[in-house]
Amino acid sequence: MTTVDRGPDTSRENVADAKAAAAGLASSRKRRPGWRLLLGQPLFVAVVVIAWAIWRSQADLDSIEKRQLDWTLLGRLTLEHLKLTVVATVIVLAIAVPLGIALTRPRLRRAAPLVVAFANAGQAAPVIGLIVLLAIWLGFGFWTAILALCLYAILPVLRNTIVGLQGVDPTLVEAGRGMGMSNRSVLGRIELPLAVPVIMAGIRTALVLVVGTATLATFIDAGGLGGLITTGIRLLRYPVLISGAILVAALALLIDWAGRVLEEVTRPRGLE
Amino acid sequence: MWDYIAERHAQLLYQSYQHLSLVIQCVLLATVLAVGLAVFVHRNPRIAALAGGVSAIGLTIPSFALLGLLIPLAGIGTATSVIAVTFYATLPILRNAVVGLAGVDSTLIESARGMGMGAVRTLLRVELPLAWPVILAGVRVSAQMSMGIAAIAAYVLGPGLGSFIFTGLTQIGGKNALNSALVGTLGVVLLALILDALLLLAGRLTTSRGIRV
Amino acid sequence: MSDNTNETEVSGVDIDLIDVVKRYPGQKRAAVEGLSLHIPAGEIVMFVGPSGCGKTTSLKMINRLIAPTSGTIRIGGEEIGKQDDDDLRRRIGYVIQGGSLFPHMTVTQNIALVPGLLGWDKRRTAERVDELLELVGLDPARYRGRYPRELSGGQQQRVGVARGLAADPPVILMDEPFGAVDPITRQRLQDELLSIQEELRKTIVCVTHDFDEAVKLGDRILILTEGANIAQYDVPEAILANPADRFVADFVGAGAALKQLTLSRVSEIDLGRPTVAQIGDSAADVLRAAQSAGDDSVVILDAKRRPVDWMWTRDLLDLDRVPAPHDDTDLVTIDRRATLNDALDTMLVSSHGSAVVTGRRDEYLGVVDFQAVLTRIQDTHDEHHGVPDPEAVA
Repeated sequence: MTTVDRGPDTSRENVADAKAAAAGLASSRKRRPGWRLLLGQPLFVAVVVIAWAIWRSQADLDSIEKRQLDWTLLGRLTLEHLKLTVVATVIVLAIAVPLGIALTRPRLRRAAPLVVAFANAGQAAPVIGLIVLLAIWLGFGFWTAILALCLYAILPVLRNTIVGLQGVDPTLVEAGRGMGMSNRSVLGRIELPLAVPVIMAGIRTALVLVVGTATLATFIDAGGLGGLITTGIRLLRYPVLISGAILVAALALLIDWAGRVLEEVTRPRGLE
Repeated sequence: MWDYIAERHAQLLYQSYQHLSLVIQCVLLATVLAVGLAVFVHRNPRIAALAGGVSAIGLTIPSFALLGLLIPLAGIGTATSVIAVTFYATLPILRNAVVGLAGVDSTLIESARGMGMGAVRTLLRVELPLAWPVILAGVRVSAQMSMGIAAIAAYVLGPGLGSFIFTGLTQIGGKNALNSALVGTLGVVLLALILDALLLLAGRLTTSRGIRV
Repeated sequence: MSDNTNETEVSGVDIDLIDVVKRYPGQKRAAVEGLSLHIPAGEIVMFVGPSGCGKTTSLKMINRLIAPTSGTIRIGGEEIGKQDDDDLRRRIGYVIQGGSLFPHMTVTQNIALVPGLLGWDKRRTAERVDELLELVGLDPARYRGRYPRELSGGQQQRVGVARGLAADPPVILMDEPFGAVDPITRQRLQDELLSIQEELRKTIVCVTHDFDEAVKLGDRILILTEGANIAQYDVPEAILANPADRFVADFVGAGAALKQLTLSRVSEIDLGRPTVAQIGDSAADVLRAAQSAGDDSVVILDAKRRPVDWMWTRDLLDLDRVPAPHDDTDLVTIDRRATLNDALDTMLVSSHGSAVVTGRRDEYLGVVDFQAVLTRIQDTHDEHHGVPDPEAVA
C-alpha cells in the first residue's frame, strides 16, 4: 500500500493515486520525520514567503501587475484556496472514514476490495479531465470544484482507513472481546486508536492532493491561488505568474507540514 | 461521440502518440537520473534520507505551480512540459531506488565483494538486479503520475491529449465540449493502462526469475 | 500437580462441558465432536494435543468467543448460553500468548479495563491495579505508567496475567500464555503462576502445546485427539505412569520416566540455610555470623525479605555496612515450586553452584545445591524404577 507504513510500494493499486500517494509514502515509512523536518519545513516556507513579500513591497510593477498582486486580493485568493482545501478534506473525512469502518465490519467486509478497486479506477483519470467533465455536467463554481476534489482525494483516506483497521492485530481484537468489551467499544477503544497512524497518513496524503489540485479550481471559476498563475500566463506577466507559483507552493508545503504535525499529535502514545 | 472521434481520428492519434511519447521519454530520462542519483547517495544513510525527504517535499509542490515557475525559464511549450514531467517522474523512482538499494541484504554484497567482484560489478550484477522490482514499482507510479501532469501541461501548450480537455473547457456550451473533454480524459486513462501493462511486461522480462513474486 | 491441600479457600467454580459440539460451515468434520468434561473448582486443567485438535476452540467456547453448535456449558452451575456474552466474559479472566496488551494503553489502563467495564470506582480500581502488580512481581510505582513496548516480553506477560485477574474472576482461561517468551523467563512465569494460584485457588483452564508445561502446571491434563476427542484426562502422574493408549504414549514422548523429574519440586528438598543479612546491617556483625556458621557467602535480603544479592564474605571485608546491590546484579532465584530440571538449569548459571529459593511473593526461603538435587534425582529414579516404559505399554 502506498500510503501505509509498509515500505516501498509494489502492489498494483499503488500506481493509481500516483503523485500525492508517493508523497505520503515517503514520510509514512517506519522512520518518522525527525523534528528537524518538522521545524525546517515551516521555517523554509516562512523565509521564502518573507523574501517574496519584501520583493513585492519594493518591486516596480505596472498597473495590471499591481492590481493582480494587490494585498487584499492575495489574501482573498489564499483564503479561497484554504477554503477549498479544508471543505473538501472535511467532506472526504466524513465520507471515507465511516465508509472505511463499515467496509471492515463482518457484514460488508467482502465488498471492500470491490469498493477500493472502484476508487482506484476513478483515480486513474487525469484530474484536470475530471474537473472539466464535472463542470460541463454541473456548471462552474465552488461546489463543482469541491466535488472533483472529493472524488479525487477520497481514495487515500478510504484505503488507509480500511488497511489501518485490517492491520490491527486480530488477537488484540479478540483479547478485547474476550475481556467482555462490546463490538462498539472494541472499535472505539482498540481498533480505531491503533489504526490512527495509518488513517492519518491517508488524511495527510488527501490534504496534499487537495491543496495541489485546488490550484486547478480556477479553471472553473472556483477561486484559489491558481488564478494568479493562469492570469500570469494569459497576460504574460511573469511577476504575477511567479508570485502565484511561489504562494501556491508555499501553501502546499505548509498544509503538508500541518498534516505532519497532525500525524504526530494524533499518534497514540505507546505506539512507536 | 463516435462521430467526433471518427472526424478527428488523425488528430487524436497524433496527440495520443505525442502524449505517450512525452511520458515515455520523460520517465526513461527520470529513471536514469533517479537510479544514478540513488546509486550515488545510497551508501551514505544521511544523504539517502535527505534524498527521501527531498522526494517527499518535491511531490508536495503542485504541478501547476511548477509549470508556472518554469515558464519564465523555458518558455511556453514543449520544453516546460518536459522539464516538469521529468521532475515529478524522478521523485518516486528516486525514493524507491534508495529504499530498494538499501534493502539489498548486506551479506550478499559482502559475499560478492568476497568473490572478487569490484564495486561497479557488484552494483550492476547484484545490487541493481535485486533492487529492480522496487525501482520498477516506482517507475509505474511515476508513469501514472506523468500521464496526469502531461495533461495539465497542455495548458502551457505542451503536447498531448490534454489539449482536448482544455478545448472542451474553452468551448463549454458548444456542442463538442463534452466530446472533446471526454475523449481527452478517457484517452489519457487508456494510455495510462497501456503503459502500465507495458511496464508490467517489461518487469516480467527484466526481473530475475529467482526474485519474481 | 495434584496439590489439594486446602490451605487457602477455593475461589474458583466448577466448569462443566456437556456434549459440546462445534461445527464450522463447509467443513466435513466437526472441530469439536461432542466434548464432555468436568473441571473441578480451584484446579488448573491443561488442554494439550496436536495442533488442530480443537483444544483452542474448546477453550474459546467457554467464554463464547466461539459459540458452540450444540451442547451445554455451565460455569458454577449456570448455563452460559443463557447469559449476555459480554457480561459473561467480564466475569472470566482471559490471558493470551504474549500478553496481548493493548499497545496504546499504559499498564494501568490495560489492567483497569475490565474493572472499568464493570463500573468500579476509580479509587478501588487504582488500588486493585497496584495490588495486582505486586502480585505478579512488578513494582507498581515503576511500572504502572509504562506502555507495553517499554516492558520486556516476560513483563508484558506478567501484566497480561494481572489483567486477566483484574476483576477477580472465579475462572481464568489461558491460551498458550507463556508461548512467546524465552525458556528461562517461561520457567519463572510458570513458577509465579503456581504461587499465585496457591494463594487464589481459581479455576484455570490453560491451552498449551508443550507437554512439559502441562505436567508442570496442571492439576489435571486433558489430552485431545483430532475433533477434540478425549484421549486421556487425568492427573499428570497417572498419565506419565499409565498412558491410556499408543497416541498418549507417543504424545508424552520418550523418557517419560525422566519427565517425572518435572514433577519433583524444589520445595520437596531440604534447603540449605546459609547466613543471611539485610541491607544496611553492620558488615562486621554479618562477617562474624558467617564465620561462626562456616559460610563463605551471605545472602542479602531487602526490607520485604526478598533476596537481592549473594555476596562472598571477602567482598564484605572492607565495608562498613551491607550495601544495596548494584542495578546490574543478576541474582537468579528460583521459586520453591520450580521443578528439579529448572533448579539444575539455574544452578548452572550461578557462580555459587547453587541457587537461592524463594517462596510466596519472592520471600527468601533458603538455598539449594547440586548435591541435594542429585540425591533427590537418585531417590526419584529409585521410586519410579518399577514404572513400565510407556513405549512398551502400547
